[in-house]
Amino acid sequence: MSDSAPDGDRTESLLARVVAPFVDRSVAERLVISVAAILLSIVVGFALVLVSGRIAQCSTAAWTMPLTGIGFCYDPIEVYVVLFNGALGYPFAVGDPGLFNPAWTPFNLSFGLTLSETTLLIFTGLSVAVAFRAGLFNIGTQGQLVVGALSTALSVLALAPLLPAGPVAGAVLIVVGTAAGAVGGGLWGAIPGALKAYADANEVITTIMLNFVAANVAYVLVLEVFRAEGSSVVATRYVPEYAQFPSVLFPPSTDFALLALAGGIAFIGALYYFVEHTSLGYDLRTSGVQAAAAEYGGVNAKLTTVRAMTLSGALGGIGGAVWVLMSEGRWMASIPDLGFDGITVSILAGNNPIGVLPAAFLFGVLKGGALEIGFRTDVPTELVAVLRGLIILFVAMPEFFRMIGRYTGVGGTAGGPGGAASAESDASAGGDGGEADA
Amino acid sequence: MNPAVHLDGITKRFPGVVANDDVDLAVERGSVHALLGENGAGKTTLMNVLYGLYRPTEGTVRLDGEPRSFDSPRDAIDAGVGMIHQHFMLVDPMTVWENVVLGNEPTTWGGLRVDREAAREAVVELSERYGFDVDPDATIADISVGEQQRVEILKALYRGAEVLIMDEPTAVLTPQEVEELYGVFEELTEQGKTIIFISHKLGEALSAADDITVLRDGVNVGTVAAADVTREELAELMVGREVLMDPATSPRETGERVLEVTDLCVEDDRGVEAVSDLSFELRGGEILGIAGVDGNGQSQLAEAITGLRETASGEIRYRGESMVGQTRRDRIDRGMAFIPEDRQERGLVMSYDLTENGVLGSQHDPPFARGGRLDWGAAQDHAESVIEQYDVRPPDADAEAESLSGGNQQKFIVGREFERDPELVVAAHPTRGVDIGSTEFLHDRLLELRAEGKAVLLVSSKLDEVQGLSDRLAVIHEGEFTGVVDPATVTEEEIGLLMAGESLDDDSVERAAIHDAGGAPDEVDGGAADDEGVDA
Amino acid sequence: MPPPAATGVKPMRNPLSPASLLEGASESGYVRSLIAGTVGMLALLGVSGLAFPDSVAGDLAGIVFSTSTATSTARLAAPIVLAGLGGIFAEKSGVINIGLEGLLIISAFVSVYAASVVGVGNAVLGVPALAIAFLAGIAASTFLSAVFAVVCIEFKADQIIAGLAVWLIALGLAPFLSTVFFGGVNTPNLGVSVGWQYSATMVVFATAGSWWLLNKTAFGKHLRAAGENPKALDTVGVSVSQVRYAGVLLSGVLSGVGGSALALSIGQFVGSGETMVQGKGFIAIVAYLFGNYNPLGTLGAGALFAGLDAIQIRLQQLGYAIPDTLVQTIPYVVVIVVLTLVGRTQIPEAAGEHYETEE
Repeated sequence: MSDSAPDGDRTESLLARVVAPFVDRSVAERLVISVAAILLSIVVGFALVLVSGRIAQCSTAAWTMPLTGIGFCYDPIEVYVVLFNGALGYPFAVGDPGLFNPAWTPFNLSFGLTLSETTLLIFTGLSVAVAFRAGLFNIGTQGQLVVGALSTALSVLALAPLLPAGPVAGAVLIVVGTAAGAVGGGLWGAIPGALKAYADANEVITTIMLNFVAANVAYVLVLEVFRAEGSSVVATRYVPEYAQFPSVLFPPSTDFALLALAGGIAFIGALYYFVEHTSLGYDLRTSGVQAAAAEYGGVNAKLTTVRAMTLSGALGGIGGAVWVLMSEGRWMASIPDLGFDGITVSILAGNNPIGVLPAAFLFGVLKGGALEIGFRTDVPTELVAVLRGLIILFVAMPEFFRMIGRYTGVGGTAGGPGGAASAESDASAGGDGGEADA
Repeated sequence: MNPAVHLDGITKRFPGVVANDDVDLAVERGSVHALLGENGAGKTTLMNVLYGLYRPTEGTVRLDGEPRSFDSPRDAIDAGVGMIHQHFMLVDPMTVWENVVLGNEPTTWGGLRVDREAAREAVVELSERYGFDVDPDATIADISVGEQQRVEILKALYRGAEVLIMDEPTAVLTPQEVEELYGVFEELTEQGKTIIFISHKLGEALSAADDITVLRDGVNVGTVAAADVTREELAELMVGREVLMDPATSPRETGERVLEVTDLCVEDDRGVEAVSDLSFELRGGEILGIAGVDGNGQSQLAEAITGLRETASGEIRYRGESMVGQTRRDRIDRGMAFIPEDRQERGLVMSYDLTENGVLGSQHDPPFARGGRLDWGAAQDHAESVIEQYDVRPPDADAEAESLSGGNQQKFIVGREFERDPELVVAAHPTRGVDIGSTEFLHDRLLELRAEGKAVLLVSSKLDEVQGLSDRLAVIHEGEFTGVVDPATVTEEEIGLLMAGESLDDDSVERAAIHDAGGAPDEVDGGAADDEGVDA
Repeated sequence: MPPPAATGVKPMRNPLSPASLLEGASESGYVRSLIAGTVGMLALLGVSGLAFPDSVAGDLAGIVFSTSTATSTARLAAPIVLAGLGGIFAEKSGVINIGLEGLLIISAFVSVYAASVVGVGNAVLGVPALAIAFLAGIAASTFLSAVFAVVCIEFKADQIIAGLAVWLIALGLAPFLSTVFFGGVNTPNLGVSVGWQYSATMVVFATAGSWWLLNKTAFGKHLRAAGENPKALDTVGVSVSQVRYAGVLLSGVLSGVGGSALALSIGQFVGSGETMVQGKGFIAIVAYLFGNYNPLGTLGAGALFAGLDAIQIRLQQLGYAIPDTLVQTIPYVVVIVVLTLVGRTQIPEAAGEHYETEE
């Protein structure tokens, strides 16, 4: 279609380039695999709930298996109904006549909590994704988030008394606080980047270690220096109300701000543009897919490594800033596993910034739903952490799904060309003494 | 008497490709048989069938008249067929004896301990019987390529091989090591072993083999006794038409000094000196060829010049400017083009389409980049123009690089690099693995570039290529130039000696003057028009 | 908590000084300098401790050479060294097992669970409860490593991502099951614990056995070939997959011993936060990298890291008012420093790559 294109064709092919990532066979296949991985982990989780429900102690069975009459303490169907329906604030009327709950509005508490998680996961997911695109495995988003959150809290607390209280000061504080989070997280992310670039220290290990270090050091700092007076937990003082993202439409107790979500979506767009349409983005992803070729193309590998890790850390740090300025209102020691969830989000999204949005939403649902599970069922909420691990495991094994696809004949289109391509390369490899000669 | 190996009507199809088409091959016990053909003629596929790696689509494999069916190399090994691959199947950090017995280790203590003594003894015994000189306790990484090849042969013999298949056995050897290998052939066949070797070199087949089978496009086009055939006849069988050996070079005028390398030392990845005190210079309108057996520092030299490897010491001046400490980016910006030897590792990003690959190296420069933003429209135009001018097929800028054949990948790289309008082109093995048609095309382009007054540094292990294209020919051995000669007058034997690290005799001293130290420029290479060619 | 603060931290970095001497050293020289450096530092500390008994060095020397430090080192070293040995087998075979942490977590929990089900003091078929606990822990860890092996070898998963998944699954599953069975992420204490002598004995035997297996047996040679040049192994008719399965399963078995030993030495599983394993699986990876894939070196490095941990525990007990969390950070920082100094190790050529036999 593209040979010696007249100009009209050109816009068409430009359009094709923009859409390409979404219609590309590999992207479509990835999408199918991600969905299949989620379904499969739900099935495994189902079995897990069933089995542990058989072992756990309870007076009356929550669920009785049809036909067999065996009773289980946990009802796996209920778990998932509560998980997904609850995360959205029960829009579906289960058991009652009629599919939808007429009293439902999107601006309910549960959905707000879900969106709040989604917003945070957008940032941590982008953080992991951008490092991944550069061929770096940043497990340290958690630590970068902790450091970023602390920088945000401290800078806002330090600056607030200097400004007259009010919406203007609030806007200034939010901007400054977010920037401080980005700087803190970015610097913390730059450490493993520099160690990788200049000392060849494996970033997987160093970032995991730095997570421990960040958590411990931040804990001690707050405990010894910045702890709020009279607080029973290790936490800083609250930042002023006006310096937090305002909750619009949603109840304030949801700790969710549409503004922050909009900011997250803007970051998704910006990052997508950066990766696909800028020279630096080209450098970054080229070093990710084929480092030797990037080097050949004049990309400074070490600098790119440091840059990517800094950017990744900064995004994690912004996640921390949003956590402070939207969710918690202060820094406190028990920071949720947002960074680790970011890994799952990114892997699920195929490390594509655009894919981070649905992946983060799905995880927001899981996290929001976990709270509901805690309220309404006896099943331990750690179930969601297990699902997280399972999803990563299943997404990591595309070959498994391709095999299933081949056996069942489903997804033949996805499997087909792939199969043909590999056969071709076999043939060319076999087709002679090939690449070498005298 | 039945032949030791008899392949009867072998056909092997891959989806969309017929690699072997009804091939017959009979090899007598105790003989050396060459399987000759161009790249892609189906030689390796045929041998993989014999070795059990592929099952033939049709046809029968017979050993000593017995029909055999191999499901895996294991079956072939058990039946006495051994294969020595072109890329040796050796474990580098392990010793010679460990490699020889790998998978068949003699053990004691009920299998709890490898019987090192017994293993070593077996290796020493075999090695003595066939006159190999190999230290059983040496580590593979530390021994020469020739020795490694003998370890591979020992591996096959240890497993009871009666038939030895060797894939391009001379590709990585110096001419002297090749002679030694022929000696090994004799030793083996005297003791009743049968050897089949794959080659695409006429001379080698003629001098080492008893019989020669020529494959073309997967078909056996003839089996002849080496004693009854001439070089020309063989060449015609192989290619299917008369072959023109020499590309036409025309007289030239050299321009200004483009590249000047002085006392350059470069280390390889392990920190071992790969290039030692090299000095030479290169002018516009000139092609300097660098010949040598692979792995003698050519790669490191090319990488150092093009900024992909740090120099240990010495000076590289490009158009009068020192390049030491300058980045790869700096060199690209100053018009240095590089056709890398590993095109699938470096030259192209395999998962990118040609539009994206077309900007590799220029991703920060106009017209592709404006204010940090990439203009994909301009990139696509560029890719399409390269595709058209350099006849890249399929002509589709949206095709991913990995979907192209090796020759077309190479044409795209060459096109992209030449379109930079470079002052210097460093071309490393530009035609490796490329079909004949594309090779001629690429050679013509290099000569055109030279005619335009550009400087070309051509690294190649193909003697005919460097000899045919170069104005001056430097031979590299263990990181040093053993001689800089006039390609028009030097003989293949002389180059062979230089490649093996020998210097030439008195008559040629002038040519090899480079080797005799001294700071001042020597008059090197009287034949070539230029004079201050090289200094040491 | 009185204040002598960070000065107490300083001498602990010193045991690492040999690392700077390591660059370019041969394998045996590497391990030798590791051992010599550690011994040297201990000697220096001992001497300065004797010379200035009232200084921080004096206290430190007292700690380092006290029996309680030695015993807790043995206890803490078990999971690190055993998982590290397991990691060697997996990585030598060409499969990087970054999920060691998960294997430790799952075996730690399952061993405690099994002991509580059987009931401490009881026995099944004459096998005492604690032995059953060990076996159960090993079985759980081996099972999880088998899942990992199938995913990596059969389904060609990215080894790093799959290893990470193993960790995260265990990190979720152990507290989940603990809550199901015991009503909380921490199990109740069994009331008995396995003595440090047992941990030490297991570590010594496992190290010696691993060394023999890797260096003297045909399996060891196949393992090495599978990681360095799988094709060479394949072409002589040894199944690369089988060798890799064996390597990964061994990492499961050894980590299982380590995780069980960790939990049973306390008699409880702690599942809050990062669980009681607290990164020991990752430290194990650094231990074998630092030990250059040599079981003896891994033992040395593991003992070093465990020793640091033991010292910080003692320091707290002695009342140095460095906040305990900060002291706990020391091993992690040390790991980073070690990794930085060691840099690229001689990782097996084909580690991390999927291998497929031809046709």
